[in-house]
Amino acid sequence: MRTKASGLKKGEFIKHLDAIWQVQRADFYSPGKGSALMKARIKNLITSKNIDYAFKSNEDVDVLEVSCLEMEYLYKDTESLYFMDQRSYNQYTLPLSVVGDVANYMKEGNSYYVYVYDEKPLTMRPPSSVKLKIIETEDAIKGDTVSGAKKIAKVETGVTVMVPLFVKVGDLVTVNPETGEYGERVKE
Amino acid sequence: MQIKTLPNNLSAYKKSLLFKEAVHAFLHEKGFLEIELPVLSPELIPESYLEVFKTEFIYNDKKQSLYLTPSPELFLKRLLTRGIGDCYSIGKSFRNSDPPSPLHSFEFTMFELYKMHASYMDIANLVLEMLQFVNKKLNGKESDKINYNGVSVSLKKWEKIRVAEAFLRYAQIKEAQLFDHKKFLKAAREKGYKVEGSTYEDVFSQLYVQEVEPHLGMNGFPTLIYDYPTEFAALAKLNEDRKTAQRFEFYIAGVELGDCYSELTDWKEQEKRFEEEDNKRKQGGRIAHPIDKGFIQALQYGLEPCAGIAIGFDRLAAIFANVKTIEETKLITIS
Repeated sequence: MRTKASGLKKGEFIKHLDAIWQVQRADFYSPGKGSALMKARIKNLITSKNIDYAFKSNEDVDVLEVSCLEMEYLYKDTESLYFMDQRSYNQYTLPLSVVGDVANYMKEGNSYYVYVYDEKPLTMRPPSSVKLKIIETEDAIKGDTVSGAKKIAKVETGVTVMVPLFVKVGDLVTVNPETGEYGERVKE
Repeated sequence: MQIKTLPNNLSAYKKSLLFKEAVHAFLHEKGFLEIELPVLSPELIPESYLEVFKTEFIYNDKKQSLYLTPSPELFLKRLLTRGIGDCYSIGKSFRNSDPPSPLHSFEFTMFELYKMHASYMDIANLVLEMLQFVNKKLNGKESDKINYNGVSVSLKKWEKIRVAEAFLRYAQIKEAQLFDHKKFLKAAREKGYKVEGSTYEDVFSQLYVQEVEPHLGMNGFPTLIYDYPTEFAALAKLNEDRKTAQRFEFYIAGVELGDCYSELTDWKEQEKRFEEEDNKRKQGGRIAHPIDKGFIQALQYGLEPCAGIAIGFDRLAAIFANVKTIEETKLITIS
């Protein structure tokens, strides 16, 4: 679907310079010389690299009609993550480089959303938070009441997260998979 | 759109007030007269790249169209022709169809200043002195540096670069290509830009923003980029080469902050440019507004040589308050 660059929105997928990109942000910019522009930060889905590109606001851009399907995350190996569409039972593969650090916080058997275009998976839509169990952390030292103090904890997917001192082994906590930041302690 | 109350911005807001105070103090010391201006006008300077806000004054069955001014220029230049002398205004300007972004809003504070018998490079000296003065007031007597967005900028001098040099250095476009529409569009196409159906001005602007602008104000000093092709002369006087206009813009840490001209005083040339801009507005389907004929008449009355600069006050305030967006210097906004 062709659209004017002035209508570009965060999250949309576009074809640009023979690659597929996801719009990370798009800001109107009128430099007072020539027509207005859309300054966009776009992420290349193959290399995962962000670039800034100034589109003329009246320039035609190919916005791709991408579907977002709920899929079961099966497993990963050193290069890829494997998913299954729970409706069609079709399997899809995403390179680890595309998913990025989010993969460190994903639990096998859980459902995640995957963007699919023309039957090919493009990337994942990272959840805003994931619930993970603490499997390793030191007990808080008594009397240490510095507010905001943090310690290292290992979560069930094997990576470490900085958590507040009151968090114990066996606790369930939320983590933002894009930043790796602790959110809160939650009940099962 | 909604009204946003932002009490957490109090500290940056207070810094922006100190900044404003320092600017006033500097200009009063230099003998500039502050001018309070209307924001509604029955006629405007035609500018093809701007959309305007239109409203109506209604009394009984009489109606008068009025427009929110996108810049204070038409008022200030009238006063200049009447001998008011060095002057400035800091007030609201309005640009319709400009969606809010981190460094721009459709309603913003414009700081415009004129100096008589001066050229654009005299204004450059004045602005640098103002930046130094303001920085000392805000950051201490010894301070000649500011840090913004992780970039350290010394205010001791300008990094000056001609537009043609900047295109060569950052976009590998040679001078012979820059001033020839066909060659320029060809070079842009070879770089992967879409040029079909676009004007020279549009593609120039795109390349400038994409390849040149990110380097400006990033080399340890504020950058002054000057002598734009005549297509961007707007209300600026041409240089003797007739290829470039006496216009500069200045940048700190990649942020465009001001636009300066040696002012065009030739009313015939001005009238011609008004007609061209008005035609472009009509072709572009923009809101029709009466052309400010009084402005041309004022120029006929005679404008002494002068130069002027328009500075995005909110942006400069954000830089001195060291916040990333203009919204962060406000306590209340509409967005």
